[in-house]
Amino acid sequence: MTTQPQSTAAMPEPAIVIRHLNKWYGQHHALRDVSLRLGAGEKIVLCGPSGSGKSTLIRCINGLESFAEGSLEVGGVALDGSSAHLREIRRMTGMVFQHFNLFPHMTVLENLTLGPRSVLRESEIEASARARALLERVRLGDQALKYPGQLSGGQQQRVAIARTLMMRPQVILFDEPTSALDPEMVQEVLEVMEELASDGQSMIVVTHEMTFARNVADLVVFMDKGQILEAAPPEVFFTTPHTERARNFVRQIGHAA
Amino acid sequence: MTHILTSGIELPASDAIRPPPAQENRVRALTGALFGSTFSTLITLIGGALLLVFAWFALKWAIVDAVWTAPGGSAACAKPGAGACWAVIGAKYPVILFGAFPYAEQWRGVVLIALWLVWAGVSIFRRVPALTKIIGWIAIFIVSIILMRGGIFGMTYVGTDQWGGLPLSFMIFGGTIAGGLPLGILLALGRRSRLPIFSALCTAVIEVTRGFPLLVVLFFAALIMPLFLPPQLNVDKLVRAEIGMIIFFAAYAAETIRGGLQTLPLGQDEAAQALGLSYRQRLLKVILPQAIASALPSLFNDIVRSFKNTTFFAILGLWDILGATKSALQDPEWVKYSIEGYLFVFLLYFVICSGLSLYGRSLERESLSRLRRAGK
Repeated sequence: MTTQPQSTAAMPEPAIVIRHLNKWYGQHHALRDVSLRLGAGEKIVLCGPSGSGKSTLIRCINGLESFAEGSLEVGGVALDGSSAHLREIRRMTGMVFQHFNLFPHMTVLENLTLGPRSVLRESEIEASARARALLERVRLGDQALKYPGQLSGGQQQRVAIARTLMMRPQVILFDEPTSALDPEMVQEVLEVMEELASDGQSMIVVTHEMTFARNVADLVVFMDKGQILEAAPPEVFFTTPHTERARNFVRQIGHAA
Repeated sequence: MTHILTSGIELPASDAIRPPPAQENRVRALTGALFGSTFSTLITLIGGALLLVFAWFALKWAIVDAVWTAPGGSAACAKPGAGACWAVIGAKYPVILFGAFPYAEQWRGVVLIALWLVWAGVSIFRRVPALTKIIGWIAIFIVSIILMRGGIFGMTYVGTDQWGGLPLSFMIFGGTIAGGLPLGILLALGRRSRLPIFSALCTAVIEVTRGFPLLVVLFFAALIMPLFLPPQLNVDKLVRAEIGMIIFFAAYAAETIRGGLQTLPLGQDEAAQALGLSYRQRLLKVILPQAIASALPSLFNDIVRSFKNTTFFAILGLWDILGATKSALQDPEWVKYSIEGYLFVFLLYFVICSGLSLYGRSLERESLSRLRRAGK
């Protein structure tokens, strides 16, 4: 299935709505009045200098971080301190971490089936069958019985993506998924993410991979010092950034890319 | 002036992939180490001679000149030139192994020891599912209590004051691990709890218990605790001492497990949370298996120590195997041969404790090899 680019006439039901979010670490104002909306089937790439609050923001979305003020809804469910809502939101969102965070004491297959069996109460047969199909899809069909430590970083991250997909999430949050990878492994992970994107998976991706952002993002959101400074489609953002800080940022990563 | 480049490379002569060069002969290496110089040759010869002399006397005493059986009593051992008197074990083993347990009922102790040894053997195998092992151990523990206590199935009743020897050591130890390990895990988790009252309470229990010698804990449990309990609540002395033993083990195990919990990267719990797992599921499936695996070396240290701690029960008049041996060897006829009797018991302790350590090491290898490979 493919998703058409957002048309102004019919707005799809938003997957995530964040309004006026504020967060402090002690005295440090880490997120400053952040408001963001992710439409169903759309892709946002979140970028900005390190320490700008990108990771903190997406970690707020599935409740790994708390926030002091503002509201946050995923699929119409508000993250309001109710543990039932938190469970519901975690079931709807998936997260892929910078350091993969696979469970080292379990095989690849067990990593994939743990969530569906514990949370969705799937049978072992059903979960394993789906797991093997997903492993094929991320081109790791022959690695099911290995332990994470026996795989390369790129393979581990693809397993982590498959593990997230097992929960059939409405939204996937990617927290710098290629930052910990050796350069030659970045591409294999980005390819899997691009395939997911073209299948219509909603996602928010924190990344510095600007080629990926150009190819995939519906919207590039630029953050600095805990604030969203601007947001635009990639072709606009990368050619004519509004703010001085975004211009600097684009120039710097432009040299790297 | 132009700079002349001195850095450079030389391309490999061939691109063949070879096996490593042959290792130096081990015998040659050893000879070199032992007889490399005049001084080390001297040391080797003197040391070797001393070792041989000691080994010869030990062998002569323990095997060649030893008296193995003494049907007519200890007189056989008193002959001039006689070595170790192993006959003392043949004469005294019922008391050494079973303490004050009535002689006619000692088959019950034999069955108990056999059950424990057989199931310990079964538990070594990784093929046997963990659940089967645990259920087996619980069943064996219940059967052990029935066997020792009697009073049903036509077996005469034997009070805990008459329990003793190896069966008692096994049961104290088994009960300590079975009760202490879960309690230790709870205390470790409690100490890390976000609720300050709960965490303070667990910390207090751990630190206070660790602050006392085991002897004090046992005295408190056995002798002082009854003063605070209502008189109607008559808890057996063995049970009270066992409770002390469990709490003591749990306090140490809790700190060991807390160490294991701290080695776990935060990302593991976060990944499990992101999948939507509940606290209990995260604990059982993700956190504890890894924390306990990394705590295994120290945990087995605590476990082996707690087997040796069973000897403290002798202080309370409960004859574990060491206490039983001590009283067996007070017999005037055999008192001269106490050394042989104690050597036998030490050997027994050594075999059991080494067995436990070896089992711990094999568990470690199994789980750590997996974790280490997962370095990233």
